[in-house]
Amino acid sequence: MVALQLFVNGIVTGCALGVVAISFSLIYSTLRIFHVAHAGIYTMGGYVAYSLVMHGVPDILALLLAMVAAAMAGAAIQVLLYQRLAARKGTHLVVLIASLGLLAVIQNLLAAIYSANILQFPGAWSGEIVNLGDGIRLTKVQFLTVIVCILAYIGMMLFAHRTLLGKRIRAVASNPFLAEITRLRPQAVYVYVIAIASAVVCLPGVLVPYDLGLQPYGGVTPLLTATIAMIAGGVGSITGAFLLSVAISVVQNLSLLVMPGEWSIGVTFFVFVIFMLFRPTGLFAAR
Amino acid sequence: MSAPYLHVSGINKRFGGLQALNDCSFTIREGAITCLVGPNGAGKTTIFNAITGFLRPDSGQVEFRGRRISGLSPQTIVAAGIARSFQNLRLFAEISALDNVLVGMRGQFGEEPLSALFRPLKTAHAQAARRITGREILDQVGLLAQADTLVRNLSYGEQKLLTIARLLATKADLLLLDEPASGLSAGALAALMALLRRLQSAGKTLLVVEHNTRVVQQIADDVLFLHQGHLMAQGTPEAIMADPALAEIYFGGALQDHGP
Amino acid sequence: MDFLLSYLVLAEIYVLLGLSTNLLVGIVGIFSVSQAAVFGVGAYIVAFFLMNTSVSFLPALAVAAICCVVLNIVVTLPSLRVSGDYFVVTSFGIQLLATAVFTNWTGGTGGANGLPGIPPPDVFGIQLASNAQLALLTSIMAGLGCIAFWLLMRAPFGRLLRAIREDELAVAAAGKNVLRAKVSAAALAGAFAGVSGGLYATFLSFIDPSSFDLDASILLLTMVVVGGARTLAGSILGPFVLLALPQLLSLVEIPTTIAAAARQLVYGLLLIVFMLFRPQGLLGEKL
Ligand SMILES: Nc1ncnc2c1ncn2[C@@H]1O[C@H](COP(=O)(O)OP(=O)(O)OP(=O)(O)O)[C@@H](O)[C@H]1O
Ligand SMILES: [Mg+2]
Repeated sequence: MVALQLFVNGIVTGCALGVVAISFSLIYSTLRIFHVAHAGIYTMGGYVAYSLVMHGVPDILALLLAMVAAAMAGAAIQVLLYQRLAARKGTHLVVLIASLGLLAVIQNLLAAIYSANILQFPGAWSGEIVNLGDGIRLTKVQFLTVIVCILAYIGMMLFAHRTLLGKRIRAVASNPFLAEITRLRPQAVYVYVIAIASAVVCLPGVLVPYDLGLQPYGGVTPLLTATIAMIAGGVGSITGAFLLSVAISVVQNLSLLVMPGEWSIGVTFFVFVIFMLFRPTGLFAAR
Repeated sequence: MSAPYLHVSGINKRFGGLQALNDCSFTIREGAITCLVGPNGAGKTTIFNAITGFLRPDSGQVEFRGRRISGLSPQTIVAAGIARSFQNLRLFAEISALDNVLVGMRGQFGEEPLSALFRPLKTAHAQAARRITGREILDQVGLLAQADTLVRNLSYGEQKLLTIARLLATKADLLLLDEPASGLSAGALAALMALLRRLQSAGKTLLVVEHNTRVVQQIADDVLFLHQGHLMAQGTPEAIMADPALAEIYFGGALQDHGP
Repeated sequence: MDFLLSYLVLAEIYVLLGLSTNLLVGIVGIFSVSQAAVFGVGAYIVAFFLMNTSVSFLPALAVAAICCVVLNIVVTLPSLRVSGDYFVVTSFGIQLLATAVFTNWTGGTGGANGLPGIPPPDVFGIQLASNAQLALLTSIMAGLGCIAFWLLMRAPFGRLLRAIREDELAVAAAGKNVLRAKVSAAALAGAFAGVSGGLYATFLSFIDPSSFDLDASILLLTMVVVGGARTLAGSILGPFVLLALPQLLSLVEIPTTIAAAARQLVYGLLLIVFMLFRPQGLLGEKL
């Protein structure tokens, strides 16, 4: 019984993580930047929504506005930071360090404004219980998280394969040089990519804190888990990233049966090491 | 009959849907300059990678002086006596020309931390000797005056010569040169060809990827013609150049990218 | 006076740690955000021996150094197998895992409350209690560290590492064992970090996980970046500048509740600004 409940909890967190992984993967496979600051965008989205809700903005609207804000922040990061670093021929290491610096700035700005304490969203609806039978219970917001995140996954699949922009993004991702000379304008595509990914990551960025509360430094562990899922799933595979996120979360939750929650980062990491040893290209690697 | 100097047999390598090397086999004579020609994408660089351990072929094997070397690591293959250059040079741009050569030298005292830390005097002493050898090698390729220049400040022609100096530092006997002549001015080209000849008389064996047919005619003892990953023909430069079928393949595919 | 002495001691401890980070990040070009974890392991090991056994300081320091050598090799090994970006994941993972261990393994580390009452170091039977004596000890240690770094960098070993940073494949083509050189560098970096951790524990006489978390790793990276990558002068300057910074910040009116966040924010900003405008730091070479 407990195991089943943990399994279901794993699905909930996994779907949320899956969206983090998809959005990160979109950036990583197109811009080729290991965008660590994405963890900051994820956290920022939650705080923006929180502020709006506290000022009486309806929840749905707050979520949408947070997505818009995150998209703008993401675009700004690309134009003001990454593009400039690229123009200065910054090495990979330089870009990584800058991204890490940006993560520190975002997190600590949030901590300075909102304090480092955990904040809870107001609103009674989110805590209401949905009974799935057999004593398996989810809060309403958990239930919503699963639905929204699965929709986001489907949406991203359709976007990547059916829309013109999605196809352009995949073209740039597969060969930036060719895209440059065929006038697909990778630089513009990069801005779109990071904006879209930033908006999408707000879905879990807002919904998860609705359930568990907000914390300025809370983005690093989810991002780490998501990147592990992305790698284990095979870089570039949307489905791989999503499924592996769910799988890792489920394993993590089930591990609670045998060890305390503080060590779940160890479990995640263990998955990563196993993959690195036995299948470094991931499960769903292209080709 | 003794075993051939370098013997490549039945190498296959597939990249996804592309058969980059297709049952590729050939041999090389000791002391000769062999030119490897073929249109762009023929698999010339790929066969270099397969010989030098940078790429594991799907099948086939390489023997050097009768010893099987396929499957060994790049550094073991260098130690066995084969060194290669890269089409895109891959020099260390932020250190001096002399330091680039020194990196290539084998068995240096002070190359692991413990000897560097606890035997600093011996390290310094050994280094002084190495630097002299390094300068001699630079002199051989005509770069002595640039010994202390940072590589990124060297001209393209000088950088190409430096890649050869770095190979010489390894003391390998068989040198694989990937397009050493491309992009050189007429003067630099003449100097390069003279250098290759000097290396040959000094006892080195050379396998050279080369597009320029005039260069091939002047320096090659043997020519290998590679097409779609397969060795189409092997012979003297005259014989290969005279074959109209090969010329058609070669110029049909290569004219847009390279001048004649 | 006493204040200046403790500033000196702390800065010298961080010089040793900065040398360790500079070796990995600057010289070999491995992005690492887990050096603080290794530093912490050194600190906890020395604390354990001095508090629970009759082992004296120097042997304890030696044990710590050896453990950190092994640990840093294990931590760095993935970077030898997998490409750069995957190592970012490993590095974050190790850091978070270490923080989890420091915080939750209450029996060994005192948990979040930390370990108070670590005795001062004793050298050849002499207890070094005053700050002046400690300053002498750390000066000698930091001096030895600097000499070692200098010797290593001017030897063929240093040249080999620089070459590896620029082009691993070309180093392999030159017939060198890249793996062995990287493992050696990781081992050295571990020894430096372990020794500085031991000095840190005995100097402060109190350690807790917050000195060895992700923020600490970011501070460390900032020291190397600001001082300047790949040079001895840069590794020395960085810690002195960065440790003076909180004093400067305290001149500005900042509420104490957000002082820590403000400090980290400044570190993040420094990382970004230096990467954009001066990737070689104050006294270093281009990253
Ligand atoms: N690592 C790789 N992955 C996928 N395809 C590759 C890889 N390396 C080479 N190829 C492909 O294999 C084919 C042969 O490449 P190779 O570089 O050996 O040609 P080449 O004869 O050296 O050509 P060039 O004259 O342009 O240097 C090319 O079509 C190339 O695109
Ligand atoms: Mg080639």
